[in-house]
Amino acid sequence: MNENPMLPYLGKLVEVRDLAADIKLFRVEMLNDGGEAFRTFQPGQFAFVSAFGLGEAPFGIANASGRGSAVDFAVARIGSVTTGLHELGEGDIVGVRGPLGNWFPMKKFKGKNLIVLGGGIGGAPLRPVIQHVLDHRSDYGTLTILWAARHPSLLVFTDEYAEWRAAPDTDLHLTVDSPDEKWDHNVGLITQLLEKMSPSPENTVTITCGPPIMIHFVTKMLQEKMGFAPKNNYVTLEARMHCGMGKCGRCNLGEKLVCVDGPVFNMEEVGGLLETFL
Amino acid sequence: MSKSNSARKRWLISQAELEIWLDGLAQARTLIAPRQVSGIMLYRPVAKSNEIAWHGQTPRSAHAGRPVLSVKEIFFPPTERLFTIQKTGQEIRLEETFPDWETVVFGVRPCDARGVKLLDALFLDTNPVDSFYARRRGNTTLIGLACQELGPTCFCTSVGGAPDNAHDMDIMLYETDGSYLAEAVTEKGRFLIPVCEWKETTASPQQSTYSGQFPVPEKGKWPEHFNDEYWLKISERCLSCRACAYVCPTCRCFAVRDEMLAPGQFERIRCWDACAGENYRRVAGGHQPRAEKGERLRNRFFCKFFYYPEQYGLGAASACTGCGRCIEVCPAGVDITEVLMDLEKQA
Repeated sequence: MNENPMLPYLGKLVEVRDLAADIKLFRVEMLNDGGEAFRTFQPGQFAFVSAFGLGEAPFGIANASGRGSAVDFAVARIGSVTTGLHELGEGDIVGVRGPLGNWFPMKKFKGKNLIVLGGGIGGAPLRPVIQHVLDHRSDYGTLTILWAARHPSLLVFTDEYAEWRAAPDTDLHLTVDSPDEKWDHNVGLITQLLEKMSPSPENTVTITCGPPIMIHFVTKMLQEKMGFAPKNNYVTLEARMHCGMGKCGRCNLGEKLVCVDGPVFNMEEVGGLLETFL
Repeated sequence: MSKSNSARKRWLISQAELEIWLDGLAQARTLIAPRQVSGIMLYRPVAKSNEIAWHGQTPRSAHAGRPVLSVKEIFFPPTERLFTIQKTGQEIRLEETFPDWETVVFGVRPCDARGVKLLDALFLDTNPVDSFYARRRGNTTLIGLACQELGPTCFCTSVGGAPDNAHDMDIMLYETDGSYLAEAVTEKGRFLIPVCEWKETTASPQQSTYSGQFPVPEKGKWPEHFNDEYWLKISERCLSCRACAYVCPTCRCFAVRDEMLAPGQFERIRCWDACAGENYRRVAGGHQPRAEKGERLRNRFFCKFFYYPEQYGLGAASACTGCGRCIEVCPAGVDITEVLMDLEKQA
């Protein structure tokens, strides 16, 4: 690592493409020392991406380690850094600082059924989980993906649904709040879809990422209506951190820091905190 | 580790000897000392000892000998460059500069030295080490000056400190009838003492007689107060102006951003930030987990007495040094001692 942990590695954008309305996928090939730093990373970890001149912001890494040498980020155009990133194209240089944070305990999940619940751009940090399971398919039980967005145009990774659906013991269920005329899947909130499916908690863990309000109601339903133990409901939380290394103080949830104690927590841990993420 | 009190070497020096010594230190190093700047006392570089505000009475500061900002800014400046960015076409070049000059800080008050020790827990003792802070800290010697009396808002004695606590200094000076008793606390401090010129003494400094002023709720008591209505009530006064964090010796939250220097040239900086700010905790989708002022003010107090001690292994100690600056600067009368006493009463 650099003496100055705030100094990013440089990476070259080798692919930039639209994922959804105002959401782009950035595929970064790390340069120099960054290649070694990002040789392996874990599903659920995050990194800071710099649009030089505008700043940096944290993003969940959106691909599984081992699928090529590049690092993927899905970025929604929200503020100045993300707008700056959206203006970049292939061949442009970005900064990447990481990999940071803890990860989903994929080893512990071996032999279990997995339910992955993603809402909007919240699907980005879950894609490495899905890819990891597909790449080690026999290690896990069934994989059920509930994928939601406000509108069909906001669904991410649509071009990969065929791959996910084709994998053994893997199901994908889509839902949107407001459909367009071409939509032929579920309509409604992800909780309505979840209630309809009513999965059994037996030998099953859930992994959820999305807006805080979605995480709240999804995990509440899993526990109260389906009987899941909170420790089997994993979530990845968001905070507008500025260092990612437990220094800047901005991401505390009570006595925990999302950047170093998280971003992955199970709901038993979250429930034990003084402060709520909501 | 500092030596125990009795084993420390001491010297008795006059005001003139002290000034000659400081003038010498200022020649080879950067000497930072309390100094009058636009009517307020601040820690600033001085070229000669006669620029030092020895007793610093100023209309803007209720405390006679304590600068308006703590020594925090010497190790962790309000704005700090992390690196520069040069953009030429698609090419990006990053360049770093580290603070490498030797510095001596004179006139450090025990509360401020304690503040530095508390920041060490985060910036030095928790990985990864903060390279900027570490360099400044390593290159800086702290020369303390014991307080003769407690100022009107001081409460160091209630949070484990004392006006004459030498513990976190490199050298400690005690004023005694126009002369000074100098004590070498660390090896680093002793290295700066002109042992051939100063007269060693076996005299001991007179111990401060101030004792604890009021009981502060223990760390373990804080969680049960988290949902108290009290936070909403007390925050009705708060303006979210963040002045308390600005003057605090241990508030250390920062934001990171890029600034343009010239076309194609930028710097990445970090600058102080504070949890009382309205947008501080807002996330990308616009969600604001600490929308209420009371939640933000509560975070500040919990950070000092529960979160920070938990996160950075302070044991039973709090992250408040009792310097009282936040009480002095609050335009709305939020008084940390009042809060602590109120909580203790409710316990």
